[in-house]
Amino acid sequence: MTQPTQLNQFTEHLNPDTLNAFIDGELPPTNQQEIERHLTNCHACTLRVLSATRLKAATARAGHRFAPAPDALARLIVQLRSQQTQTKDQPQTKNPARIYSIRPAAWAALAAAILLTISLLGWRQLHQTNTLAAELLDQHLATLSSGATPQVISTDRHTVKPWFQGRLPFSFNLPDTTALPPDTTLKGADLTYLDGQPAALLLFTIHKHEVSIFLTQRATGPTLTTVPSTRAGFTLQTATTPDLRIIAVSDVNPTDLDLLVASLVHAQSPA
Amino acid sequence: MFHSQCLPVYAVSLLPRNLRQTEALRTMPSDLTRGADFEQLALPLFASLYNHAFWLTRNQAEAEDLVQETFSKALRAFDAFQSDTNFKAWIFRILRNTFLTTRAGIAASRTVFLEDHPDTLETTASGPTPEENLIRLDNQAALHAALEQLKPSLREVLLLCDVEEIKYKDIALILDVPIGTVMSRISRARSTLRQLLQQQLGESL
Repeated sequence: MTQPTQLNQFTEHLNPDTLNAFIDGELPPTNQQEIERHLTNCHACTLRVLSATRLKAATARAGHRFAPAPDALARLIVQLRSQQTQTKDQPQTKNPARIYSIRPAAWAALAAAILLTISLLGWRQLHQTNTLAAELLDQHLATLSSGATPQVISTDRHTVKPWFQGRLPFSFNLPDTTALPPDTTLKGADLTYLDGQPAALLLFTIHKHEVSIFLTQRATGPTLTTVPSTRAGFTLQTATTPDLRIIAVSDVNPTDLDLLVASLVHAQSPA
Repeated sequence: MFHSQCLPVYAVSLLPRNLRQTEALRTMPSDLTRGADFEQLALPLFASLYNHAFWLTRNQAEAEDLVQETFSKALRAFDAFQSDTNFKAWIFRILRNTFLTTRAGIAASRTVFLEDHPDTLETTASGPTPEENLIRLDNQAALHAALEQLKPSLREVLLLCDVEEIKYKDIALILDVPIGTVMSRISRARSTLRQLLQQQLGESL
């Protein structure tokens, strides 16, 4: 700092830099004491110090003026955490390329967070539509693999339906074999989770095409999201009954899929 | 969402470690604690950084963006942060440098810091200090107006010193100037502020 060392206690007043350093507590202890001694003898400097201290305190109050929006901190935390997750997911943590790859992802996450605050519902619908469609397709593809055998292998609805009792918080009816469209066979069933909810997965074949039918309880479902009618070459067919939501996934032609879904819907209505 | 992704790593790291696990997970828990360390240091400064960002940008949305970007950069650069340096100064420096790359910041940096040139500095000006000053200095409305009128470079140094209570050596780090420049800017800022208050409140100040 500057040199207040040769301060003459009686004749030399504090220069502005020294005075400021003094009130900011920036002087070494020896200089600090020297000035304090000067102040005991100099009324003018004492007043200047007092005045400067007041101005400093008032500036502190006046300068602390702009408060962030109440949700700004939450948005920031969302951004930071997603950035950290991104960082963590990079296998080579010391790869310099990482620095550039995180940034768009972090900003995308931030954009998502802002969207969330603008329209929670709208965002949720959009989000769920996409993830739900992906989830449906994933599960359907999993049933196609030869190693995957359903927990219930039966063509008999009287075997399949009771199996779900106690496993699902809801019940449903299966159409009689005669009520199914031509060349449509029940192969088996599985208990699964869709969109965080327990679901019955019914496996059918129509003309040797595999069909997955997901049944979920309608009441506990969130706002009804629209599932796209096709995804990656597969047809997604949705229907609802007063209690159930039925989603079919298959690569069979949409008309045949419609018929199967319609027969399931029909089976739910009281005879 | 994030917890569900973070928790399993913690959970696994608590298991008795066999060698392979240790190998695979060596960096991950430390990354996580590093992230937690960062948040612990940085989040309490959010309001301060926002206030300062608003003074720089004079705009709520820009201030928020600036703070977001500052945090993002700081987190990325946190590995380079030395624990013996002042974290507040470090992150304020990132805030300032980030601001200087924005359009508003580039415009602001074009206004040359004339007050740093010794010949324009009134180093001897001590200013009048009558007793009644002491009362008037508390006039917040007048002070707000005076701060608004202060040159950005002078306002900035005062905010760092008086509002954020950052030490001169750390202000020097933030502004990337010698400590002597910090001192002269503070002197200059306070005497200018005093003059501005004087104009508003009559000649008695």
